Amino acid sequence: MEFTPVLRSEWLKIRTLRSLTAALPALFAATVAFSAIAGVSDASDPAFDPLFAALSGVIPGQIAAISFGAMAVSSEFHQGALRLSLAAVPQRGRWFAAKAAVIAVPALLAGLVTALAALLVGRAGLGSAADTLSTGEQVRGVVGCGVYLMLMALFAAGLAALLRSGVATLSLLIPFILVVSFVIGDAAGTVADFLPDKAGQSVLRESYGGASLGPWSGLAVTALWTAAALLAGAWSVRRRDA
Amino acid sequence: MTSIDVHDLTKEFGGRRAVDRLTFRVQPGRVTGFLGPNGAGKSTTMRLVLGLDRPTAGSAMMGGRPYPALREPLRHVGALLDAQAAHGSRTARDHLRVLAASNRIPDRRVDEVLEETGLASVARRRVRTYSLGMRQRLGIAAALLGDPAVVMLDEPSNGLDPEGIVWIRRLLQRLAGEGRTVLVSSHLMNETASFADHLVVLGRGRLLADTPMRDFIHARVQPRVRIRTSDPAALRGALARHGHEAEEHTDGHWTVHHARVDDIGRVASAAGVPVLELAAEEGTLEQAYFDLTAAETEFTAQPQEA
Repeated sequence: MEFTPVLRSEWLKIRTLRSLTAALPALFAATVAFSAIAGVSDASDPAFDPLFAALSGVIPGQIAAISFGAMAVSSEFHQGALRLSLAAVPQRGRWFAAKAAVIAVPALLAGLVTALAALLVGRAGLGSAADTLSTGEQVRGVVGCGVYLMLMALFAAGLAALLRSGVATLSLLIPFILVVSFVIGDAAGTVADFLPDKAGQSVLRESYGGASLGPWSGLAVTALWTAAALLAGAWSVRRRDA
Repeated sequence: MTSIDVHDLTKEFGGRRAVDRLTFRVQPGRVTGFLGPNGAGKSTTMRLVLGLDRPTAGSAMMGGRPYPALREPLRHVGALLDAQAAHGSRTARDHLRVLAASNRIPDRRVDEVLEETGLASVARRRVRTYSLGMRQRLGIAAALLGDPAVVMLDEPSNGLDPEGIVWIRRLLQRLAGEGRTVLVSSHLMNETASFADHLVVLGRGRLLADTPMRDFIHARVQPRVRIRTSDPAALRGALARHGHEAEEHTDGHWTVHHARVDDIGRVASAAGVPVLELAAEEGTLEQAYFDLTAAETEFTAQPQEA
């Protein structure tokens, strides 16, 4: 079977489910709103990082990206949906690759647009506190943020395929992101820096002195987590009875 | 022509054999009823044939090839496994478009099958709003999408209204008449009797019968004659003389066992017994089926010749 028709079919699946097409505007709205709030916050803290402050809306906003990835996969695990999909496309590896592609591309594009808007809104709020940011840092922040959101969506997609459930995936990931990372996250220079979300977030910081990972190496660690989750998901889809 | 060939197919779920060394062939040009009680392994067999579950042993082929080896499989095999499989938030038309796109089936065909299954007027409504009967029709529409040579439907008449049941009966016979291979599972005897030409019967995962339906019934159900008379004494005497075993019912009619209507008619006429009613009682698939399953304990799973 050719790949393009499978890709078209999976893309059509995303487009025709309102919950999925709503997740990406939600990502945009939540991220930009939280960045706007962060932009007017106190900038006198010595650890203050204007790039992270401007992009910090991504921390709560990424839940929408995770939901997008998780739901795009978990919709296949309702009733006999997966059987119908795999009867149409019996090459399961190919099918899962198409699924990942139609999650990755919209998540990346929405992530880039979101990051740019968040940065602009955040900077407007920060005023002179953001003047130290160089163009290079801002480009890195926006591109890195878009890639980060894509990786988190795919991470959730891989987990959802492994766990065969969107509810299980979200109830694992959301508390993890909101609580675990938040509580132990400030302890820079520890193993917490290598958590899937924490590692990638280093790309959102202007300065990363003292952290174990630089911006791109941090994103690479998240990419490894995502690759592992996708491989586990693909293994599950290929090996188990549908 | 494409047939379904199941050979020595076995599937175990955690040590329990859901399908136990099944061997049968589903031929094109006739409707094959796939019978058995709930849990007999019908749905599992269908999933194995579609490559959705992996067999513990054995194989299932479509026209000599395993299902996953088919290029654009919906153009060869259409299946309805679970009418609930369509996502409730999609419209029926979008649900079919998604399936069609993966096998390069044009959207024009989507509208055709919607028309054919009587869903055209509700095609843009969300599947969530559909009744069970409408979902069954949508599942059948999905099965017909690729104009396939093989059609496999799991309990298609579930939830259909009487009109829908007549519709599906005609549809199945038309599909078989067009030379397609049609396999339809059911646990309802009378329903299956109304459309099947051939039967494959399962019990606890094993093949109990693979035989034309008529033969299946005739081999298992003894013919009986129903007769009513105004002179019971004369009838009893006449039947006894010819060695017929008869049973009188409280409402006045008689059942003559192991007899054909031609013989009983002649006996009554020769004896001058006034006959008010005389009819052959056809064996039903249900009777034949219960006769078979009653004997199942001693039955060794030898496939009968088709």
